[in-house]
Amino acid sequence: MTRSILTIPNMICPACVMHLEELEDELPGILFIKANYHKKRLEVEFDESRVSEQEIRQAVTDIGYEIAT
Amino acid sequence: MDNAILVAFITGLTAGGLSCFAVQGGLLSASIAQRIEETSPANIRRAAPGKKNAGRADASLQPGMIQPILLFMTAKLVAYTVMGFLLGWLGSLFTFSPTVQGAIQVAIGIFLVGNALRMLNVHPIFRYFSFEPPSGLRRYIRGVSKRNDTWITPLYLGALTVLIPCGVTQAMMAVAVGTGSPWLGAVIMFAFILGTSPTFIAVSWLVTSLGAMFQKYFYRVVTVIVLLLGLYGINAGLTLLGSPISASRVARAFQAEEVVEAVPPVTEPANVEALPLVTGQPLVEVEVVTATPAAPTSAAGSVARINVENNGYSPNLLALPANQPIELHLVTENTYSCARAFVIPELEIMQILPETGDTVVYIPAQPAGKTMEFMCSMGMYTGVFQFN
Repeated sequence: MTRSILTIPNMICPACVMHLEELEDELPGILFIKANYHKKRLEVEFDESRVSEQEIRQAVTDIGYEIAT
Repeated sequence: MDNAILVAFITGLTAGGLSCFAVQGGLLSASIAQRIEETSPANIRRAAPGKKNAGRADASLQPGMIQPILLFMTAKLVAYTVMGFLLGWLGSLFTFSPTVQGAIQVAIGIFLVGNALRMLNVHPIFRYFSFEPPSGLRRYIRGVSKRNDTWITPLYLGALTVLIPCGVTQAMMAVAVGTGSPWLGAVIMFAFILGTSPTFIAVSWLVTSLGAMFQKYFYRVVTVIVLLLGLYGINAGLTLLGSPISASRVARAFQAEEVVEAVPPVTEPANVEALPLVTGQPLVEVEVVTATPAAPTSAAGSVARINVENNGYSPNLLALPANQPIELHLVTENTYSCARAFVIPELEIMQILPETGDTVVYIPAQPAGKTMEFMCSMGMYTGVFQFN
């Protein structure tokens, strides 16, 4: 299991939290996902044998969010 | 129509509809997603900020999507009305003094202004003005939105919106508690959600049709409206608290300077006289009747009368004799506005007046030169007593 914390600068409202957490249903191998609007962070735990961090990053940007490097 | 109900409706129609959509729009999208899939091969994409094509749907709203939207909105309306009833009932368990009511109004105003500053991204601290539903609840709602039935899912999701109220809705819920009446609380929330409905549907269409272009202006409009509502709430609360910095007091301070010269000195009181007013407003008939042996039933020294009307108090500037108690008659005649909730904060007097009738309030003797404000419990309609 791998854990990543991504900073999402353009998470502008609490609705973004639900949008981002929907990635759990769209990507395989996500074990835990939690977005935090107050900290503008997305915390993801995933099974690397099924999904890579790069794929998760791509999915986040695909739904319109930026990821701070 | 009671002004508080009208304000709730207009708040819903403007800021409420837009703000609610930001939080609950995803659920509505989920409600109509299946119907969109039936009419178009592509799925609706969720609106997200910052990306040019984000939020652009591949199918705009079509007649077939009306049914789930109506089901969603109806369930939402019923759920919030029930919640308004419960909140009003909760409020009825407590007696709010004018001071507490003022403090609640100020708190609601600060909450709205904080939300506006959050939306303007002024400082990260303002993000704490927004409440997120717990993660377990978010997961549950997400699970429901994946169900594949055209009737039950929209109804259920609409009802579930009570669990994720937006900032403006949360403020309106506080207003419902403040009414202290289950039925008025229910009506306030009904009017508010009814007001949000056309905006909610219009925004759904605009977001799905215009996408990011609409999003760009969407937040600016909401922010300005939320900011104005917040400032209005703070001012109403400050008025109730008797603060010297409320807008009505500041305005009156400027008016009073102009008036002093224009007003003739107070003459000896007669049995019935129209006393001059101390501000620049036109003279109105202030009926001040000194108590005489012919009116022994009056325990007060003088009797005054205010007509409580749907659009405020008439007169709203009364010159009263100093150093003697006043028997104040508050006369209502088919009055339905919040002016019926008459408050004199300084004396901690709050009186709910009948729709039609004559209610007496006693004001103890006040020294000459003293001014005292009166108002409705929402701080919308105000007036002043001047003791001479």
